[in-house]
Amino acid sequence: MSTVIHTENLTKTYESAFGGQDVHALKSMSFEVQSGEIFGYLGPNGSGKTTTIKMLLGLIFPTSGKIRILGSEDITSNHIRMNIGYLPEGAYYPDFLRGEEILKYYGQLYGLSGADLRNRIDAVIDLVGMSHARKRLMRGYSKGMRQRIGLAQALISDPKILILDEPTTGLDPIARKEIRDILARLRDEGKTLMISSHELMEVELISNRISIIYEGDMKVHGTIDELLVDREVVVEVTDLDEPGAKQLEERGLTLEDAISGRARVRVPEGMDVYNAIEICRSAGARIGSIAPRRETLEELFVRVVGGASRAKAEKAA
Amino acid sequence: MSAENAALNAPSKGISPKQLFIGPWTIAVFTWRESIRKKTMVGFLILSLLVIFGATVMTSMMQQDTVGSAAAAGPLETQTKLIKDICVSAISIFGALITIFISASVVPSEIENKVIYTVLSKPVRRLQYLIGKFVGVQLTVLLNLVLMGGLFFIALWAREGMPPTLLLWAMLLMFFEFLILSAFTFAISCTSSSSVLPTIAGLFIYITGNLTEYLKDVSVRAEHGTSMEQLVGQLAQILYNILPNLQNFSLKNDIVQGMVNDPPPFEIIPNLIVYSLIFSAIGFCLSYVIFLRKEL
Ligand SMILES: Nc1ncnc2c1ncn2[C@@H]1O[C@H](COP(=O)(O)OP(=O)(O)O)[C@@H](O)[C@H]1O
Ligand SMILES: [Mg+2]
Repeated sequence: MSTVIHTENLTKTYESAFGGQDVHALKSMSFEVQSGEIFGYLGPNGSGKTTTIKMLLGLIFPTSGKIRILGSEDITSNHIRMNIGYLPEGAYYPDFLRGEEILKYYGQLYGLSGADLRNRIDAVIDLVGMSHARKRLMRGYSKGMRQRIGLAQALISDPKILILDEPTTGLDPIARKEIRDILARLRDEGKTLMISSHELMEVELISNRISIIYEGDMKVHGTIDELLVDREVVVEVTDLDEPGAKQLEERGLTLEDAISGRARVRVPEGMDVYNAIEICRSAGARIGSIAPRRETLEELFVRVVGGASRAKAEKAA
Repeated sequence: MSAENAALNAPSKGISPKQLFIGPWTIAVFTWRESIRKKTMVGFLILSLLVIFGATVMTSMMQQDTVGSAAAAGPLETQTKLIKDICVSAISIFGALITIFISASVVPSEIENKVIYTVLSKPVRRLQYLIGKFVGVQLTVLLNLVLMGGLFFIALWAREGMPPTLLLWAMLLMFFEFLILSAFTFAISCTSSSSVLPTIAGLFIYITGNLTEYLKDVSVRAEHGTSMEQLVGQLAQILYNILPNLQNFSLKNDIVQGMVNDPPPFEIIPNLIVYSLIFSAIGFCLSYVIFLRKEL
């Protein structure tokens, strides 16, 4: 495994024009993306994801810090450009063209022509599942179809690296699932993907490694397995009545999704599981199942970002 | 292994000389195809074609109606002059409006809809992008001039019974006038992510560029005025010196006053073309300087 994208103390400050406050969009960000992985670059809106990605593509320029892509610091060289596919956030594609025409345009920008170009167009259109609509005008495309064409234009040169800025934001659940499936397939083909998102479920499902950033700072960094430890045990119970439920809560257990006698009982860290089962029994409940429960990325996110914003509020107060 | 795979694995950082031109040309053609669909541009074009059509065809029909009362319609010659005046003015004004509008919007509109991100993340240098966009604008302007000039050419030929060759020269000079206008509007548009400011600036350049003689007049007359007047005079002098003189490019008077197949003033045409190329080159270089490190 080798490092494909490397940033070192990458910093971006947007200077305000008329003596207002400068925006410190990114503060000394360092991360690495390894070849063949899906790297999830996560953070709430305004945390600096798009800023980072634009710097990787040379669309804006770092205030300080270093970027190395495929071992080269000359990130705008044609060699590097040939090997990066980029899907910008919320881009619009000229709607007077047909799906395949827009891909032809982008392919020509890579210097493709003739049979090579036609083969690549066929391949990417097929990959993103747009063969049926390739001859239709973009004007008539749904949001999901546009996004798939966007993905296709990023793939037209068969790049090694794909950088996707919020690829599933604003799509319906089915379109999301389709995009996600395409991304997983691309990883299986050996491509390296960097995906930014503020929608965690999406990324959790397909990423190998993630970073969570907040207000331009890296908060958490690691593989999903490292970060999402099995933190708790959950006991599913039935036949639980009102007084029983009260009793459980008094003794330190938390109830989730309690409906008509059924509930999930969370056993906090530190409490012995047998102990918890005993408590449930004595409250008159029947044990359905007992299983370890993994924290979700969403919970991790809230814990990390929530902690950061609380700390900020306390500092301000 | 296919050619593109070979290109991907090639260690070279360069790109073939052919690609150096194909990139801009691809962008130019794309820009042209997109521009000719812009509603504002099509609107101006249709308006000007209507004016030309109305002025030429309608007046001919009116003449037939008023046969025998020539006095009411005015002498034929006066009427022809009027038609030529209206049509050349229409081509010039609508042509300028189209030039300004397209030049001011090609880059900002791509920033706005983010298409520029997808293009500049490809192996396309910023200079190549600008050349492509600029050439695309000129193709659009040219197409408009050909359509407007072509219609008037045919109408005038039918009316006068001889090919109005002078009109062709007028159109050529108009193209070079618009080239200057386009280059500076384009440069200003590179500072902005909206086309409003560059459009206003383009109008300003067009209007003052056509009034430079007047500016000179102002500065001469203000020489002995109050200090306030002198200040205005100096400002006029500065504008006179830096603004291109667009009035020089107009053959309207020659067309209106003379015969439609008169020879053009050959002695000034090469000078005007060189003048235009120099000014547009300055304008384009300015756009490159602005755009090279622009944060997108
Ligand atoms: N061109 C700009 N000028 C000034 N501030 C900007 C600019 N672009 C982004 N920002 C600010 O930088 C911060 C990070 O923005 P961004 O990278 O777009 O976040 P994200 O993509 O994570 O939602 C935000 O506070 C945003 O308002
Ligand atoms: Mg963003």
